Amino acid sequence: MKLELKQIDKSFGEKQVLKGVSFTVESGKAFGLLGRNGAGKTTTIRILMNVFPANGGEVLMDGKPLDYGKTGIGYLPEERGLYPKKRVIDQLVYFAELKGMTKKNAVVAVDAWLERLGMTEYRDKRLDTLSKGNQQKIQLVTALAHDPKIVILDEPFSGLDPVNAMLLKDVVREQIAKGKIVLFSSHQMSYIEEFCDSIAIINAGKVALHGDLHDIKRDYPRDRLVVNTTDPALIRRDFGSACTEAENGALLIQMADPGEKSAVMKRLVEQYDIDEVKVFEPSLNDIFVQYAGEQV
Amino acid sequence: MKQFGTILKFEFSSFLKNKVFVGTTVFLVIVLAVVMFFPNISALFESEESTEESGARAVMLVYAEDAELAELSRQYFSEAFSNYDVQLAADSLEAVKEQITSGQAECAFAMDSAASYTYYVDNLSMYDSNTAIADSVLQEVYRVSAMVQHGISPEQAAEILSVQIESQSVSLGKDMGETYWYTYVMIMALYMVLILYGQMVATNVASEKSSRAMEVLVTSAKPASMMFGKVLASCLAGLFQLVAVFGSALLFYTINRSAWADSPIIELLFHIPVHLFVYMLVFFVLGFLIYAFLYGAIGSTASKLEDINTSVMPITFLLVIAFLVVMSSMTSASMDNTLMKVCSFIPFTAPMAMFARICMSTVPWYEIAASIVILAGSTVGIGFLAAKIYRVGVLLYGTPPKIGAILKAIRNA
Repeated sequence: MKLELKQIDKSFGEKQVLKGVSFTVESGKAFGLLGRNGAGKTTTIRILMNVFPANGGEVLMDGKPLDYGKTGIGYLPEERGLYPKKRVIDQLVYFAELKGMTKKNAVVAVDAWLERLGMTEYRDKRLDTLSKGNQQKIQLVTALAHDPKIVILDEPFSGLDPVNAMLLKDVVREQIAKGKIVLFSSHQMSYIEEFCDSIAIINAGKVALHGDLHDIKRDYPRDRLVVNTTDPALIRRDFGSACTEAENGALLIQMADPGEKSAVMKRLVEQYDIDEVKVFEPSLNDIFVQYAGEQV
Repeated sequence: MKQFGTILKFEFSSFLKNKVFVGTTVFLVIVLAVVMFFPNISALFESEESTEESGARAVMLVYAEDAELAELSRQYFSEAFSNYDVQLAADSLEAVKEQITSGQAECAFAMDSAASYTYYVDNLSMYDSNTAIADSVLQEVYRVSAMVQHGISPEQAAEILSVQIESQSVSLGKDMGETYWYTYVMIMALYMVLILYGQMVATNVASEKSSRAMEVLVTSAKPASMMFGKVLASCLAGLFQLVAVFGSALLFYTINRSAWADSPIIELLFHIPVHLFVYMLVFFVLGFLIYAFLYGAIGSTASKLEDINTSVMPITFLLVIAFLVVMSSMTSASMDNTLMKVCSFIPFTAPMAMFARICMSTVPWYEIAASIVILAGSTVGIGFLAAKIYRVGVLLYGTPPKIGAILKAIRNA
C-alpha cells in the first residue's frame, strides 16, 4: 500500500496554513512527520483523516482517492483525553463500534488489547480513576482496536515511563511488521530516528525536506571526520583551522576533499592516540534544526 | 446510519446511567405520589380531629356607640357569617382593638352608622372577604329600610331584592376556564424540559471538547451523526422522563380518583382531550429538537465548561421571551392577539405559542398545518446548520468565536 498526499492546500479564513504539501508513505515502513509547533502537522493529519476537506490537492491510496469507508484509520491525538466519567470498557467498545465494528467483535478486540497492554484489571474502572500513563495506554487502544490499515501516532511517547515506552515500541514494531502504514509525529527526534525510514519536515505550511532518512544523511557532504582522542591539543595545533570542536567534546576535522578520507584517517591513527575516527553524519536533530529553523 | 445508531444508543444509555437524571425522575414521581395521595392521607388524621374543631368558632365583635344599631348589626352579621361566633362588644373601641391583637377575637366591625363602619383585623389576609360580605348585608338592610319608608312591606321588599337571575353559558369553541389549567401545566413542562435539556446538550458537547474526547470522536464519526445522535438521545430521555412523571401522576390519580372528585382543577388536569396530547407530542418533539440543536451548536463553540452559561444566554432569552409571551396571553385570555398569531409561525416560539392557541382557542386547521410545516422544515435546517457549526466549533480552542467568524469558517470548511 502506498499513501500519497498531493499538493494539499488549506486556508483558515485569511491564513493559509498549508501550501502544497506533498509526501508519500509506504506500508511496512514507519514515516515521521516533523515540524515546529504551528508548522501545519496537525492540520495535515486532520485533512488526511477527512476531519475537514482540503482547499486543493488530493489524498491517494495506491493511486486512487482514499476510501475512508473501507480504509480504517487509527489515531492517537497529541491532545489526549476520553470520557473521564465512563467505564474503560464501555468507551473503548463505543469507539470501536464507531469505527464500524460490531459490538461482539469490539468487545473481543478491546479485551485482547487490554490484555496485551497489561490493563485488564482496569477494564471495569472509571477512566478518571486511572493514572495519566495508564489513561494514555487506554487511549492507544482506541487507535488500534479496530485493526486499521493506517495508524497515526501524534507524540506517542510523551508522558510514558521507560517500561511503558518499551511496551509501546514493541507494539509499534508489530504494527509495522504487519505491513501497516505507520505515521509518526513527534518532537522527540531520537524516537523518530529509531523507527522511521523516511521523514517529511514541514516548515510554515510547506514540505521543506522529504525522503528516506538514510539517503538524506548520505546526501550531506562526507567531508568531515569525527575524532575522539586523548590528546586533542596536539591535533588542534597540527590541523589548525581545519579542526573544530563538536558539541560533545569530540573534534571535527574538515577535509579539503572527501577523497582524502583514507589518507587523513591513516595519518590520525598513526600519529596520535585515537579512540575513534569516523565520517561525520548529521543527526536528525541537526537536520531538523537546519530545515525547520529557517523562517520562510 | 449505523454510526448514528451507535451514538444514539451510547448517549441514551448515558442518561439512564446518570444518577442525577434517574434521581430527579424518581424524586418527581415520589413528590407526585405524595400530592396525589394527600387527600387520603390527611383524611386519616382529620376524621379524629373534626369533632373538636367545630366547637370553637372564631370570634367576631360588633361595636357601636348606639346600642340599638349594635344589636341590629349583630343580628344581621350572625346570619351572614355563619362560620363566626358574632358577639357584641360592650366596652370601648380601645378594648375591642386589644381583644383582637391579643387573639381573643379575630376581627371586629365598629359601626359609625347603618351605612358606615370600620373593619378591624389583626393581619389582613389577601383573601379576606368579610368586608365585601358586610357591605352587601348592610346595603340590603339599608335598601329594605328605605323601601319600607316608601310604603312597601318588608316581605315585598325582601322579595324584590332577592330576585335571582338564572343564566347558563354555552361555549361553542373552547372554554378557557376549563383549558387554562392543563395548558398551563403542559406549557410549563415544555418550557422546563427545553431549558433543562438544552443546557444538558450544550454541557455534554462542551465537556467532550474540554476533555479532548472530541479529538478521537471527530475522527471517528461524522459531525451530523454526532449532532443528531446526541440531540435525539436527549429528546428520547426527555420524553422518557415526561412519560414517567405524567404516567405515574395519571396512575396515582386513578387510584385516588374518588378523593379528588370535588377538586375541579385536578379533575380538569386529568381530562385532557386525546387530540391535544398528540399536538403536545408533535410540538414537544419539534420544539425540543430545534432548541437542542441550537444549544448543541453553541456548546461546540465553547472550549471550557465555564463559558457555556454566557454562550447559551441568547438562546435562553429566546426561550424565556416565547414563554412570557404565551403566559401573558394566557392570563389575559387573549389567545388570538396579533403577537400570538405571529409567534405561532416563528419556529422558535411556535411550539409554545401555537400549542397554547390550539388548547385555548379555535385555530383553523390550515394555520396549524402551516405552523407545523414551517417548524419541521426549520428544525431540519437548523439541525444541519448545527452539525456544520459543530464540525467547525469542536476544533476551535481558546476564546469562544464570534458568530461572524463561525459563519465564515463554515463557508470555508
